[in-house]
Amino acid sequence: MPHGGAAAEGEPFVLTAPGRHGILLTAVNEAAAAEGLSPGLPLADARALLPGLATAPAAPAADAEALAALAAWCDQYSPWISLDGADGLWLDITGCAHLLGGEAALLTDLGRRLEGLGYRNRLGLADTPGAAWALARFAPDGTRVLAPAATAKGLAALPVEALRLSAPALLLLQRLGLRRIGALYDLPRAALARRFRSAALGEQVLARLDQALGRAEEPLSPLAPAPAYRTRLAFAEPIATLDSIAAALARLTEALCQQMEADRQGARRLVLRAYQSDGRVARAGIETGRPSRQPRHIERLFAERLEPLLPEYGIETLTLSAEVTQPLGPAQLSLDPAAGGVGEAAAELVDRLANRFGAGSVVRVRPRESHLPERAEEWQPAAAPGPFWARPEALQPPRPVRLFERPEPIRVLAEVPDGPPVQFDWRRVTRRVSRARGPERIAPEWWNDFAGAERLRDYYQVEDQAGRRYWLYREGLYQEPRAPAWYIHGLFA
Amino acid sequence: MPSGPQQPTVLAALRRRIAAIERPPPQFADRDGSGTADGRNAAEAWRFGLADIDAALPGGRLATDGLHDIRPQEHQDGPAAVGLALALLLRLPAGDAAPPGPVLWCQNRRCAGDFGRLYGPGLAAFGLDAARLIVLRAERDRDVLWAMEEGLNARALSLVIGELEQADFTASRRLALAARQGRMPALLLQSPAAAQASAARTRWRIAARPGAADAWDARAPGPVRWHLHLARCRGGRPGAWTVEWNHATHRFRLAAALADRPAQTRPTQTRPAQTRPDSVAARRRSG
Repeated sequence: MPHGGAAAEGEPFVLTAPGRHGILLTAVNEAAAAEGLSPGLPLADARALLPGLATAPAAPAADAEALAALAAWCDQYSPWISLDGADGLWLDITGCAHLLGGEAALLTDLGRRLEGLGYRNRLGLADTPGAAWALARFAPDGTRVLAPAATAKGLAALPVEALRLSAPALLLLQRLGLRRIGALYDLPRAALARRFRSAALGEQVLARLDQALGRAEEPLSPLAPAPAYRTRLAFAEPIATLDSIAAALARLTEALCQQMEADRQGARRLVLRAYQSDGRVARAGIETGRPSRQPRHIERLFAERLEPLLPEYGIETLTLSAEVTQPLGPAQLSLDPAAGGVGEAAAELVDRLANRFGAGSVVRVRPRESHLPERAEEWQPAAAPGPFWARPEALQPPRPVRLFERPEPIRVLAEVPDGPPVQFDWRRVTRRVSRARGPERIAPEWWNDFAGAERLRDYYQVEDQAGRRYWLYREGLYQEPRAPAWYIHGLFA
Repeated sequence: MPSGPQQPTVLAALRRRIAAIERPPPQFADRDGSGTADGRNAAEAWRFGLADIDAALPGGRLATDGLHDIRPQEHQDGPAAVGLALALLLRLPAGDAAPPGPVLWCQNRRCAGDFGRLYGPGLAAFGLDAARLIVLRAERDRDVLWAMEEGLNARALSLVIGELEQADFTASRRLALAARQGRMPALLLQSPAAAQASAARTRWRIAARPGAADAWDARAPGPVRWHLHLARCRGGRPGAWTVEWNHATHRFRLAAALADRPAQTRPTQTRPAQTRPDSVAARRRSG
């Protein structure tokens, strides 16, 4: 149960919450229970019994948060976790127990470490969720694991409360004198259903019984989908240095890549989780531009991210999971940059840069079908395949090597209205034009321009007296009602 | 690095051995026709293709495993510095890789703000296959330097270019080491105010110069013209030249001395073109 003890050890302590008729107890510790307190009792009555009772207001939101954090922590045992009400967790350990030396060893380890985190806990392990629930909450201490196929026998001695029944159903079973689960086994099912006044109650009892015994499926939805590829490494002593984390990561990566290789998959997104001694879980994630299962590459991508994982108290377990994978053939090296990619080694470099600076900061340019200069290119994340540029032709109009995101307005002096400028002011400096090429007229894309606000442009390549070259344009014509405006759009090398 | 009295001779011997190993077989020599007097290594060496400038460089070439520092003379010459970097990129021999490898261009965003972003169609017009470019846009100089070093270590590129405000001596030294270990050249484009000290093999200052008229249109600008000043060069001779860049042929050409006059006054005689570059009377300054 995820209620950490906040009072002195052994002292009666209760949590309270406002109810309809005053403040009620919502949870009591063992010492308080021994004094006869139970949840639901009004606080005034409890105070009458125990004047010095220590209390604290219940905080259900914080409890839920703590339970979610605990669920994340339990992720080290199995990726498949589901919440059970406000105070329990399900773990599907199918295929996980052998990693921890068997089911009993897993339970022992889990119990010990939960204890270490300050959580009183009860654990149960069985073939079905219902049986495990019954064991965890109602089994006498010591019998925590039910062997496969021993479910019915193991549950027989437990009280019927262990079947997760509603209060009316429980009441009815007690009236019928059915106190143990085993008592239900021998009753004919039809008879059992008939004895209940409402058919729904009978159905409920039978359904829960079937679920506990494995005769009916009980689907539970996990908190997060379990990744297909996952490796885990637990440490006898918590580790707390970057070097040891890196060494562990190397082993995890190696194993994970072998798993993926068997299925011819490559990882696109990987998450490294560090389960710390104080119960917290730190995670670091990386993404790759193309599926990869090269341990060295993956390690290098993580190298940047390990520092935030460094714990205060040490890491007990590390897991590495491939959250997103894609098919990747056995051929690792594509030595064919002509196929439009940038080559394997360059792709790895791009991954490293993208993981540090963000995918939007590592870009390549591809041409676009547009005659408007600012729309004639497109910068995209470098991992995307294949930009192709036509071979430059000799008779193309001039284009600058640098283009301003926004054309900057300039003041211009021209000899004739439609001629090139003789002089212009840009960034507070007056430049005299000695040579000019143009105009190159570029009309707006009327099919995109619904407002009709775009005007045609006349571009000039000009050189000033210092030899610097600019790309200027006049927007609009002199004979239009609106006066034309001049801009500088780019710079030539 | 260890040092001792015998160190230079050892180094010289090693350099000779490496030079002998790197020498290409004769059938590949002088492929681009810009060879020097001895005609050796012409296809594989990174040179300007101008006898005057190449002669000032150690071994007659730019080191392909070193850092080269390019700075504009004034802030406004920034685009010219970019032009020189692009021209040198186009002059870089492809080596063994049939399609030349990608180029990493690391850029401080502030530089992009000053002069605009790199423009794909413009790069294509300059003669570059823009698909080769991988551009990193970083916030700080520190990030640019980190990415350059990463690129040099990756051994997947043909060139790394960094465009930033300034790199201090330590940073340039790291880059120079990474370039040597990665056997890949790197170009550093800094602001004119950047610190003088640098571990680069060569340091260039570049300024725009009024160019000649276009061959077919006297009013239009012709090939771009730059004033190159080799300010520092380990093992070479500093010098200054005025060159033109032809983006169709990817060749430099020494501009005739007369062409430096203001363009309007003599539009027709400022065409030094048709003679062979070697025979043009070159203007040269020392230092």
